[in-house]
Amino acid sequence: MTDFSHIVQFFFSGLTTGSMYALIAVSLVIVYKVSLLICFAQGEFFVIGALTMVTLVSKGLPMPLAFVLSILISTVLGALVQRVLIKPIQNASIGNLIVMTIAISLALRGSALLIWGKESHILKPFSSGAPIPVLGATLQPQVLWIIGITIIVLFMIWIFFEKTMLGIAMRACAENRLGASLMGISTNKAALLAWAWGSGIGALAGMAVAPLLFMQYGSGVMPMVKGFIAVSIGGLSSIVGSVVAGFLLGTVEAYTIGLISSKFSDTIVFSLLMVVLIFKPSGLFGKG
Amino acid sequence: MKLSKQFWWILPLVFIAIYPVTLAGGSPYWSGLLIFVGIYVILAVGLDLLMGYTGQISVGHAAYFAIGAYTSGVLTAKYGFSPLGAMVIGMALTGAVAWALGRPVLALKEYYLAMATLAFNEIVVTLIIGLEWLTGGASGLRDIPPFSIFGLVLSNHMHYYYFVWAVVIIVITSSLAVVRSAFGRTLLAIHSDEIAARAFGVDTAKYKTRIFVLASVFASMAGSLFTHYMGFLAPDDFGVLTSINILVMLFLGGIGTIYGPILGAFFMKLLPELTYQIHDYELLLNGLILIVVLVFMPKGLFGIFTGIWEKMFARADK
Amino acid sequence: MKKLFVLMILCFVFVMFTGVGPVMAQTKAPYKIGGIFPLTGYLSWLGEYKKKGSELKVELINKAGGVNGRPLELVVYDDQSSPETGSRIAQRLVSKDGAIAMIGTASVPISGAVASVGNRYKIPTIIGSGYEVDPKKDYYVFNSAHKTDFAVERPFQYFKDKGITKVALLMPIGPLGELGGGLARKYAPKYGITIVGEERFDVKAPDITAQLAKLRTLGPQAVFSFCTGEPAALVARNMAQLSMNIPVLVSHGNANPGFLKLVSNVNIPIIVPAGRAAAPESIPDSDPCKKVILDFNKAHQQKFGEPANYYSAEMVDAVDIIAAALKVAPSAEGEKLRDAIEKTKGLVGMNGIYNFSPTDHHGTVLQDMMVLTVKDGKWQVLLK
Repeated sequence: MTDFSHIVQFFFSGLTTGSMYALIAVSLVIVYKVSLLICFAQGEFFVIGALTMVTLVSKGLPMPLAFVLSILISTVLGALVQRVLIKPIQNASIGNLIVMTIAISLALRGSALLIWGKESHILKPFSSGAPIPVLGATLQPQVLWIIGITIIVLFMIWIFFEKTMLGIAMRACAENRLGASLMGISTNKAALLAWAWGSGIGALAGMAVAPLLFMQYGSGVMPMVKGFIAVSIGGLSSIVGSVVAGFLLGTVEAYTIGLISSKFSDTIVFSLLMVVLIFKPSGLFGKG
Repeated sequence: MKLSKQFWWILPLVFIAIYPVTLAGGSPYWSGLLIFVGIYVILAVGLDLLMGYTGQISVGHAAYFAIGAYTSGVLTAKYGFSPLGAMVIGMALTGAVAWALGRPVLALKEYYLAMATLAFNEIVVTLIIGLEWLTGGASGLRDIPPFSIFGLVLSNHMHYYYFVWAVVIIVITSSLAVVRSAFGRTLLAIHSDEIAARAFGVDTAKYKTRIFVLASVFASMAGSLFTHYMGFLAPDDFGVLTSINILVMLFLGGIGTIYGPILGAFFMKLLPELTYQIHDYELLLNGLILIVVLVFMPKGLFGIFTGIWEKMFARADK
Repeated sequence: MKKLFVLMILCFVFVMFTGVGPVMAQTKAPYKIGGIFPLTGYLSWLGEYKKKGSELKVELINKAGGVNGRPLELVVYDDQSSPETGSRIAQRLVSKDGAIAMIGTASVPISGAVASVGNRYKIPTIIGSGYEVDPKKDYYVFNSAHKTDFAVERPFQYFKDKGITKVALLMPIGPLGELGGGLARKYAPKYGITIVGEERFDVKAPDITAQLAKLRTLGPQAVFSFCTGEPAALVARNMAQLSMNIPVLVSHGNANPGFLKLVSNVNIPIIVPAGRAAAPESIPDSDPCKKVILDFNKAHQQKFGEPANYYSAEMVDAVDIIAAALKVAPSAEGEKLRDAIEKTKGLVGMNGIYNFSPTDHHGTVLQDMMVLTVKDGKWQVLLK
């Protein structure tokens, strides 16, 4: 055990939590970029994705199949929620819309409570394997899965929004709603797809992270708040920024705990957030 | 007809005055319930001034609730201060904090402002938990004495009810006064177009900070009232979840109307009375009720009432 | 459509304000006991155990003829794991529902809020949490849970027997952490233990390896983490990840079947203090509590498909204490009932034999707690 092993461990701890924050932050930013809506229900898709996978696996489905099915189910759920609950009030004030997402999160969490009960559920890691030793510290292999999935998601987002007609059209909607619809782009379809993407990635985050934690109906709140913090640091307008911010948040947290104070680490992190917001209002990577 | 339109508010006032002895039947439970409602009315109305009229999103209003509550609690339980004195100190402290935060934080826009207010809420709560030698930490602060004014102890629930509602009415009337004044009109102007207001030479930062201080001071008062009623304080009741509850009251009732949030507070604090027995379904039900209100009553409960009111008087004036 | 909703709202308001009415304590028919449990919120998983246990006990008492010829009625409400809600429900129970006593609450702050109401309205209240009852200030409050001190002293005795002298504290931010940390420092000298360091962690955190890595540099022989449920399992799991093969002592709140599931694939020695109710087979037949536990477990198994556990036991004993006091109290009225409860001596419960007094509102003793460990998905007794 070298003298620095615990310093390395701090880094791995930060990597572990940061990877989770990053993926959720991405799902938040996608929904915002296309529909200009901050979705408070994101944490619930996180939980529903994970718990759906737990149920499917316990019914005997092989993991990869359960994985794909869970994403599909959550994506459909997200689209359904958008169509039935968001679309009818899409012209309401932004405040009403945000409170609607809060209401949706309550309803979804309440449903999760009824479906999966109050106990915590366990999901096995995607690959069996001992923690990876590096320089005297260890990293859980599942973290590599999370990072890998994040990279794939970023790649898919890039391809979709830069290279496909549908994606470009969605970006157009976000930038100029009236203009886009004048050009014949269906803004309704764009909003629907934005939610589908958001809920899909949110669920994906939940499934990827579940093996590290224990999932129960209320487990989505904390990750979502951390996701919001990451987005605030990275800036609402930057997808890559939110990913970097997520990892940054995790790392700063871990080092604050390790080197300064584990008792006041939250106070320090939130104070740092306020400082960032006050001095760089659109986030570290956002455009003013 | 015109007379009743002018003085319609006498009816609810009379109702509040006679409630504890008549409908509540002298029962401490029902007076107690309306004491909680009154406290949240103060919180919601304060937030409405900030969010509804001036357009500044705050997802951390409970922070000021907490500062007032804990100042009162710590000073009276641990250092023997008089409750009235402690409450005033709490208000001064909260006002000072809001003043200091005002300029930098209120310069932020929408989402980032919301996150900053959320962050401050969390800072306050984590400090309360961390400074356990002072606040009792997460285990809570015990043995808080009941409120007393210059030696007159208000330990009887009915007496406290009247005291709390006297404060509530002061808050409501002063809020209405602010809203109808020139100051209030400036706030609305800032809300609809801040850049234009500035172009007209308005020091928008000063106005925003002032209303922020007022809203926070109201919240601090509510906190002190809460403390002496509970007799016990725990940080659990002052987190972001509470802030969000207050926000929901605002939207449910009808934001930007003062009366709306009052209705919202009544609704949210009395709804559990109907849903008590169903435990597990309560969360889902709360979500569904909120959804229904948002879809079918976008102007909130107050919007419905004004709608009926207009219809009634429109017909009568023919 | 809009008019319909308006009408609905008006009706709701109307019902709200006419549904009220003076309902004072009934002196005929059933004895009403209020049950305040966390059925939703972060404590919901243990609220269920407490609710089931108390409901079954009330049922059994009523089947056997009730108390003084009258049935007991348990009025259950959900405190939503929130002190404010707990306070409101307690007030509802004492002034609207006419409860003659209250039981429940599962956390220190909620117990505090409810205790405040019990003292104010002079209604005996039996809580079941780590809340320390000061009989002078909490005149009307009793605690059927084992004193948290026991959950620290007994395992420390085990550490002493095994030659473990260096312990690191990894305490959750929250009431449990404050309680555990304070008691650990209080009793360490008595058992020859040195606290080498203390770190805190957020119970919702997904990873605690940073704190553990820091503590590991101090060379501890055991870790004491006074937390319950998921966080406790996470501490154990993270310790395994860091190859910290030393025992981890967690709270007695983990003496329930759910916890066994959470740590099913963790290989670190996990130490859990518990009452007899967690491992009844290991109790000698000469112990009077054994029969009480096994009889109740049979009934619980029949009704709910699983035996009772340490949590249900607390509330079962609470009901028992109230029932026994009602039999000897001159009336069910607040102060008289409280006095009868305080005079309770030698009541054989599931968690021990209760002896209350004006200076002791907890009733149980150090020897009522055992020290268990997890072995092959089951409990194994380390120290009786």
